[in-house]
Amino acid sequence: MTRRLSLARLLPMLAGGLLLSATLPALAQEGTAPVPPDLTDENVVGVMTKAVDEVIRPGYRAFHASAGALAKATDAFCAAPSAETRQAVDTAFRQAVAEWGRIEIVRIGPVLDDNRFERILFYPDRKSTGLKQVQALLQKQDPADADAATMGARSVAIQGFGALEFALYGTGADALMTGPESFRCRYAAAVASHIEKTAGQLVAAWDAPDGVQQHWKHPGPQNPVFRTGREAMTALLGILVHGAEAVRDQRIETFYRHGGIARPKSALFWRSGNTWVSIGANIEGLRALFDTSGMAGLIDPSFVSIGGNIDFVLKALARVTPTIDTDIEKAVSTPEEQQKIAFLLVNSRDLIERLNGEYGTAMGLGAGFSFADGD
Amino acid sequence: MRAAGRPSGAIERRAFLRMAGVGFVAALAPRPSFALSRTDAVFASGYRDRDGTFGIAVLAEDGTVIDRTPLPARSHGMAFSPLTGHLVAFARRPGTFALVIDRTGSAEPVTIAAAEDRHFFGHGCFSPDGRLLYASENDFDNRRGVIGLYDARDGYRRIGEYQTYGIGTHDLSVSDDGKLLIAANGGIETHPDFGRTKLNLDHMEPSLALIDAATGALVERHALPEKLRQLSTRHIDLDDKGRIWFACQYEGPRNDLPPLVGHFGKGEDLTFLSLPAETTIGLANYVGAIAVNRSEGLVGLTSPNGGRFVVLEAESGRIIRDDALTDAAGIAAAPHGFAVSSYDGRFAGRREPVAWDQHIAKLLANH
Repeated sequence: MTRRLSLARLLPMLAGGLLLSATLPALAQEGTAPVPPDLTDENVVGVMTKAVDEVIRPGYRAFHASAGALAKATDAFCAAPSAETRQAVDTAFRQAVAEWGRIEIVRIGPVLDDNRFERILFYPDRKSTGLKQVQALLQKQDPADADAATMGARSVAIQGFGALEFALYGTGADALMTGPESFRCRYAAAVASHIEKTAGQLVAAWDAPDGVQQHWKHPGPQNPVFRTGREAMTALLGILVHGAEAVRDQRIETFYRHGGIARPKSALFWRSGNTWVSIGANIEGLRALFDTSGMAGLIDPSFVSIGGNIDFVLKALARVTPTIDTDIEKAVSTPEEQQKIAFLLVNSRDLIERLNGEYGTAMGLGAGFSFADGD
Repeated sequence: MRAAGRPSGAIERRAFLRMAGVGFVAALAPRPSFALSRTDAVFASGYRDRDGTFGIAVLAEDGTVIDRTPLPARSHGMAFSPLTGHLVAFARRPGTFALVIDRTGSAEPVTIAAAEDRHFFGHGCFSPDGRLLYASENDFDNRRGVIGLYDARDGYRRIGEYQTYGIGTHDLSVSDDGKLLIAANGGIETHPDFGRTKLNLDHMEPSLALIDAATGALVERHALPEKLRQLSTRHIDLDDKGRIWFACQYEGPRNDLPPLVGHFGKGEDLTFLSLPAETTIGLANYVGAIAVNRSEGLVGLTSPNGGRFVVLEAESGRIIRDDALTDAAGIAAAPHGFAVSSYDGRFAGRREPVAWDQHIAKLLANH
């Protein structure tokens, strides 16, 4: 059976029912329950090792490299503003946004230490705290604010992608082209450099041989992170469920709810036109983790369609996302684009249910993973 | 998640039936009607149905579902007033609704929307006279817990708020005389913009606070010692001596063996119980719910993470039961021992095709 669904076939579907799952095969053994796997050292270590060594660590390395390229491109642009150097900054910014988007789905581990996540991306910012602080420092033009070395001690709202995007694409960014080494450009370069530094800390934390990677790969009684294979698999599934929830709740519904009032200027990266780059990268990251880790291979073989259907929904989400208008004002006000966004909302909800309910249950992780998600 | 107003312990079955109304009982199917006629205890619990919808169910002592009320989203803890028959289901954090169900059937359910810049933390309680509903809430932009005050006689209008003198407030209870509010400040910072992500695990600030119910003034605040700063004080219940039992969830290294349960009273320091290592390991450093059976002097603990159900003697701290119970969820005092539920649908030996949520509220128990 082929599950490939072309956009040409998908769009008529959008006009009708939005929920993709109507086209998916039913569970193989409908009416019976999957037998939860025995989570042995061997099979859990295998999945966790692939997740860590083939997705998470390479993901942080790619993010670090892209952040380094962005810092370099921004420096070059500041030194000699031109159409070419500006283009290089735009490309590097988009690439860094995409690489961060792929790995930011990992909302546990070293990224939560020392507020690193918020340092890299302070969003949503409902009260425009970051915007106000960045506007104020651009007005003040204090050289100390453009010092990458001391940025870590400042408000997290001025340290990450949101602040950098405003400096490069926000109101007044045209001034960046007027001459070399402007304060605004030096501030942007300092932020880019600080993002690179934070990314480097994440790479170092995950690459330390006896650190978090070891803890993730080898659960056990003396392990400070995961005592059992079940705990490790719960955390891995948690990345997927929370990542899918974040796409829907924190990245789309912050600016668009079908039938609700649209707030295009609340969208992440609307100024640079990278909203869908970021969301698409989130989805790619989820798919890479699900597919590469081999976690679907742990469940009852009679219910193999559970994994196939999750991958199918992820693929469809990944295919539609980059086709949506990068101009968010247009995207939220054009019926055809609205339908695509609605498609993302409906099917990300379906994805969450499939991960949470179907996969979680098949793994024996409770009646639905997030049901046992603490409190 | 506990009933307020305990002068007579809990209401009797006849009182419950009277409160529930003739129409309610007559409308029941034979099985729940029979179960209700025989039960010595009535409970409530949130659930997730097979189709992914949520609700709150009333159950007999044997786990028979007596009736169900749908909810717009997942709930967590509950508050019940035996004097008014009002049962409140609080949305799970960072939820923005609480639903008031009138068990007397004389009024339609009332939905309480969270105030602007606040969300519910999932727990609350009634004043003993049933006039005030106290809800644990998050003032997320100012990273502090608050207690929302709602007037039960005026459509649950929010009439004010108190501080909890901590962050990450979770469970909330009230002393039997109604004079003290007890807040379990888990110490974990969350913000609705970041979903359920715990934002400050490297600098948590857990505490337990006693608050003057009349003025909102701080009476006592017990911060956990530095070595236990990653021990989140989450759930509480009171014993017959007015001692406050608290249960914790540990966010520190998984191979630590922290204390998970303790008690204190007004004017007393925190006392942690020294549980056997195998019990702490069995609880997986995570107690999901706690309940005190006052008449039997017992304290019950459940851990979904560890799949464990533990009972200890309140007076001595001696473990008298330590059982494996996969997906152990809620716990409440029963006429004898405890009613315990599970995520996989078990409740007092009966299994329903639902996932029972983390807490059970006791609506009736004849002791």
